[in-house]
Amino acid sequence: MNVEITNLARRFGRNQAVAGVDLEAGPGVLGLLGPNGAGKTSLLRMMATVIPPSSGTMRLLGRDPGAHEPRREIRRRLGYLPQALGYYPGFTVVEFVEYFALLKDMPSARVPAAVAEAVERVDLGAKAKAKLRTLSGGMLRRVGIAQAIVNNPELLLLDEPTAGLDPEQRVQFRALLRDLGQHATVVVSTHLVEDVGAACTEVALMDAGRVVFRGTPADLAALGTDRDTGDAPLERGYTAALTRARSLTRAGGQS
Amino acid sequence: MSGIDGSRPGDPASDLISDIDLGRVWTGVAAEVWRRHPGRLERLAGRLLRSPGLARALLTTPSLLVPWLIATVVVLAAGAVVTLSTGQPLVALLAPGVAAAGIAYSYGPGVDPAWELSCSMAISDRMVLLVRALAVFAVNAVLGLAATAFAGAGQTAAGDVTFGWLVPMTAVCALSLAVATLARSASAGAAAGMAGWAITVLSSRVASGQFTAAVTRAALVIPYLIVAAGCAAAAAYATRIPRGTPL
Repeated sequence: MNVEITNLARRFGRNQAVAGVDLEAGPGVLGLLGPNGAGKTSLLRMMATVIPPSSGTMRLLGRDPGAHEPRREIRRRLGYLPQALGYYPGFTVVEFVEYFALLKDMPSARVPAAVAEAVERVDLGAKAKAKLRTLSGGMLRRVGIAQAIVNNPELLLLDEPTAGLDPEQRVQFRALLRDLGQHATVVVSTHLVEDVGAACTEVALMDAGRVVFRGTPADLAALGTDRDTGDAPLERGYTAALTRARSLTRAGGQS
Repeated sequence: MSGIDGSRPGDPASDLISDIDLGRVWTGVAAEVWRRHPGRLERLAGRLLRSPGLARALLTTPSLLVPWLIATVVVLAAGAVVTLSTGQPLVALLAPGVAAAGIAYSYGPGVDPAWELSCSMAISDRMVLLVRALAVFAVNAVLGLAATAFAGAGQTAAGDVTFGWLVPMTAVCALSLAVATLARSASAGAAAGMAGWAITVLSSRVASGQFTAAVTRAALVIPYLIVAAGCAAAAAYATRIPRGTPL
């Protein structure tokens, strides 16, 4: 298992962002669904080793990210696309991707070929020498994806990767996700259930800091067969799973 | 049927061409065409730091950008000219404040656009912060020494320079770094460093009656060093490695 998480929690002041998540994931594409404030981004940030958990245990790629050297090894094999990608406006696409390849401690001799391959995979070859300040939002998102995959990561964490992509780019990106998921563990946080249906082998649905459903996209869709809220089977399943989890929470609170 | 290159199926040349992975060839070509050639300074930093990534991160320092360098040179040059004409050690009084601002703006959220991403990298953000802060300090020290030597027309003793402003500059830079990392705000760090230095200069003047007492009184060296050590410890605490996964 590339991801082994037990009872993981994270608190920001009085706000309990993640409230005891258990999660295991091997190679494949895991879609992380949930409403705003469900804890998806906080969970991804902990898995990206950007913030430490408040409690619980986590092993990534068979290592403990709490110790210095194992964490460095995890980070060498990690790809991360944050929700808000900060960038240096004066850098070109290639310079930006190369910068993070070097910060990932890749051997410098391997960097130019890896950068070229990552830029080509997100279909930005024609803009390779363009300054980031001249790119559209969708192109910047693809630059972010390129830096995340430049080291051919074993664990790839993508927070809202399809935000800003047009329909054609989203179709291409889903194909890229399926390809990456052949060998790596890819965790994708998204609001778009159609991304999950098209690209994910598994789904975890979060609400109020907990995972309230875990299964395949087909399992999720099956939950909503007797529902009429939502246009697509997955949307109906999403609503049904959330409603069931919230009613269970309310019932637990009253008893 | 001939291929587009005129070769026929079964032809050894045709088989050779079909065996070539054109995508891989193109990637190889693109890698060569797009390859960035590091400058002399980056290559030197890479050798000194033994890490091309750290060298690249160092040269992406917001504080080492040309406008900041120009501003520092202008301020210290003006200080040197005033020192020459009035005899007041203005360089010594300006250098710590200028360095404090540079250190505060060397790294952190709000200053480094890709800070969140940098926090997930194998080369730790603490190392990046350290080399950037050291680089800013070194640049300030060299420029300050040059300005002092110019203003003193070669009369300044090494000891006077060291205790005159290098030691206070170390304390003020450490204060600035500590506040910037604890508050996670470059502006707060710069304000704390400059305000701390202004208070020191003014209170020394009140205590001794001399405007330059903050950089001329040998009795202040130990307090400066204590402040520097305390603030360095606070900065180290603020950038400590998270405890990871509590059991």
